[in-house]
Amino acid sequence: MILCECTQDKSMKQESQKTLGKKLKVNLQSILEILTAEDILTYQFYTKDNVLCTAIYIDQITDKELLGSLIAKPLSLINAPTTLQDAMKELYFPENSFEEDITTICNKILAGNVALLIDNLQGAIILGAKKVSSRSIAEPPTSMTIKGPREGFIEDIKVNMGLVRKRLKTVQLQFDMIQCGKQSQTSIAVVYLNGIANKKIVQQVKDKIASYEIDEVVDSSYIGKFLTARPLSLFKQVGTTEKPDIFCAKILEGRIGLIVDGSPIVLTVPYLITEDFQGPQDYFASPYRATVSRSIRLFSMLISLLLPAYYVAAQLFKLQLIPFGLLMTISASTKNIPLSPSIELFFLLVILEILLEASILMPKQVSLALSVIGALVLGDTAVKAGIVSTPAIIIVAISGISAYTVPELVGTSSIIRLALLVLAGSLGTYGILLGIAVIFYTLITMESFGTPLLAPFAPLIKRDLKDSLFKADLFDLKERPAVFKSKNKRRLLQKKGVEDGQN
Amino acid sequence: MDKIKIRQICFLLIGMMPITKLLMYPAILPYYTQNDVLLSAAINFILQGVVIGFVLWLSKRTNCTFLQLLQNTFGNIAASIIYALFILFLLLSSFSIISEQKVFVIHTLYENIPSYANFLPFFIVSFLACSKSIKTIGRAADLCMPIFVFAFLAIIGLSLFNINLSSILPIGGAKSGIFKGSLMSSVWYTDCLYPLFFLGNFKYEKKSFLKVGISYGIGAICVMLFLAIFYSLYGDLSLLRQNSMAHIAKFTTAFTSIGRIDFVFIFALTLVHIFYSIVPLHLAVTGIIDIFPKWNKLLVSGIVNLIMLVLVWFSNYDYAAIQHFYNGYFWIFAAIFAYILPISAIFLKKGRRATNEKVLDV
Repeated sequence: MILCECTQDKSMKQESQKTLGKKLKVNLQSILEILTAEDILTYQFYTKDNVLCTAIYIDQITDKELLGSLIAKPLSLINAPTTLQDAMKELYFPENSFEEDITTICNKILAGNVALLIDNLQGAIILGAKKVSSRSIAEPPTSMTIKGPREGFIEDIKVNMGLVRKRLKTVQLQFDMIQCGKQSQTSIAVVYLNGIANKKIVQQVKDKIASYEIDEVVDSSYIGKFLTARPLSLFKQVGTTEKPDIFCAKILEGRIGLIVDGSPIVLTVPYLITEDFQGPQDYFASPYRATVSRSIRLFSMLISLLLPAYYVAAQLFKLQLIPFGLLMTISASTKNIPLSPSIELFFLLVILEILLEASILMPKQVSLALSVIGALVLGDTAVKAGIVSTPAIIIVAISGISAYTVPELVGTSSIIRLALLVLAGSLGTYGILLGIAVIFYTLITMESFGTPLLAPFAPLIKRDLKDSLFKADLFDLKERPAVFKSKNKRRLLQKKGVEDGQN
Repeated sequence: MDKIKIRQICFLLIGMMPITKLLMYPAILPYYTQNDVLLSAAINFILQGVVIGFVLWLSKRTNCTFLQLLQNTFGNIAASIIYALFILFLLLSSFSIISEQKVFVIHTLYENIPSYANFLPFFIVSFLACSKSIKTIGRAADLCMPIFVFAFLAIIGLSLFNINLSSILPIGGAKSGIFKGSLMSSVWYTDCLYPLFFLGNFKYEKKSFLKVGISYGIGAICVMLFLAIFYSLYGDLSLLRQNSMAHIAKFTTAFTSIGRIDFVFIFALTLVHIFYSIVPLHLAVTGIIDIFPKWNKLLVSGIVNLIMLVLVWFSNYDYAAIQHFYNGYFWIFAAIFAYILPISAIFLKKGRRATNEKVLDV
């Protein structure tokens, strides 16, 4: 286990030289001088020959039943052991260790373990009696599937690591544990496959996390921020998923994963933008269906970004763009509208964002009422009142819905959509094109741990196109993506001479 | 060192090189050549192809950049002066391309915004692009290639309904006009200089000559196909149809119920034009940094783009005068800097070839 320097509390460091002696009362006092919080509890009991034992633990996160039945009870039935090793023989705990260093003991207690002190014995026995209280494994709401596994990660790192191990039963799978957060001491598992992942990137990931000193790591997104090369960029640079099957597939492609304690969202690096266009069930559906789905997602993303902007540009600058019949309809709808097309669309897009924001934050019961207010009161009434036109509402609705075909990019796309709308309103079509050029230039220069974000399109990597917007058949995906430069390239081998069993 | 792959050079030749020849060129060329547009264009393409061939031959023999080759032969100061002249030439040629784009934007994309206001953002984009590494050009070519192919085929497909290809016959009637047309078109044929600036940034691979040759051929065929169709549509009226890209498919689409659908493809081609217009500026900025490695690239990019912006503003309504100058006199500069000197580069001292350098898969 690697313990980041950033996680060491300064006060703890001062105590790090201290070790436990043989006198229980002195030892207990030394520990309780550091652990002064009221949720740090002690439980004193005696052995058969009246030697004092003390268990130090934290209320709520330690299993008191285990403490009573597997620690206190066995020891109270025997005479005091002469060494800690002898004591261990009486305690049937799979997770146990001896510690003398007070700092380490305190850290272990804070992690939910029980520290057992026995009078006249030097050191403490650390017993893994952590009580895991977490929600059950369920299908993540952000990536539902009709076909394929429905398990999702939860907030407990141990459970999440188990979900990964359950799928990858190989000695090559590595979990390198690091900690981050000066106060939170959050555990992070760096997950990778030996021989497939690039070890240099693994080290870079660890170094980057270690280079930050933060009080608390609330969520994996904090670590995601640490790993980005351009923190101010609009585009994400770290992959995320809530599903163990997707996580394992990415690890098998040569990526490095990060499971952060307390977060159901795991991270993967290097990140490619095509990842977000790959749906959770693309690999379980037919390649034709998957290809169509991915194309629809790309098309929807373009619609979401460009439709409001082109509508404004077409109305303001380039009426020829709109077919004559449609132009007449739009003209009839907009003739009494007091706002200019760009202001009208901007106003509606802002309303859309407000509705989305409110519907996420509001209680479910209220959000239903909000939908009615949003759709009927605001939409219908605004048209009847002559504030906005019907085509504008349709454009905004289509744009808003389309964005959700690629949920990972919704935040980014909504900002770009507004920016393109402003460009369209001020500079017309040429403004939109210049906006697109800026987006392209930004994307083609961005890299995630040395891997171009826009690969396999720019730079073009022919082999990887098989699993980009186009999804090849499983039998055509015999090799891992070339972009990750894995030494172990092959992932599917069909043995020769084996009949397929069908006539 | 930044690297460009041979594939990306090929894509640049197929998917970007033709784009600058689809705006004013098809309209102006028939003024000199009448129906012999293809012969005149073929002469330019052959000349340009020869230069590209020589540059490729040079790349096979050295890993040095063009500046390093000049330094090996003439020493640092003289090399820097010659290189600076090439950079000036790049800027001069890009001025025409940018001015063309400006006219296209004013005339075709919209009419009701002051031209100096609407073209300023181009230089902001260019400033950002030029401050990036030369690798960006290669990756932009990767992106532009499918966009160009799709949009070009669509626009050609839409224009095929109304053409009468026999109007480009009989071939060879214009005689001296063919060569005159080639001379005055030199401003649109300075792309052959770009591979020279890429020298040292790409590695000659097996069959590179063939790959680049075929790509260049495809790019040339695209332009010639466009010229033939455009002339067969408008004939001697071509001169009145500047911004040809916007006019080639209008007859088919204007009478359909779906409106000017060809604008969607014109926008796609305009996007490619934006990327390609930035290439010479990008090379110029990179070239200046090559001469003065300690200078701040962001600052150099800003200055170069500011100068170009001032020039474009200065000549805001003088496109005709600019075109007159370029058609009349530019061929002298083009002959020296785009043709004679690049070919002469094969006589420069090659220097030591770097052996252990790996080409990055960009």
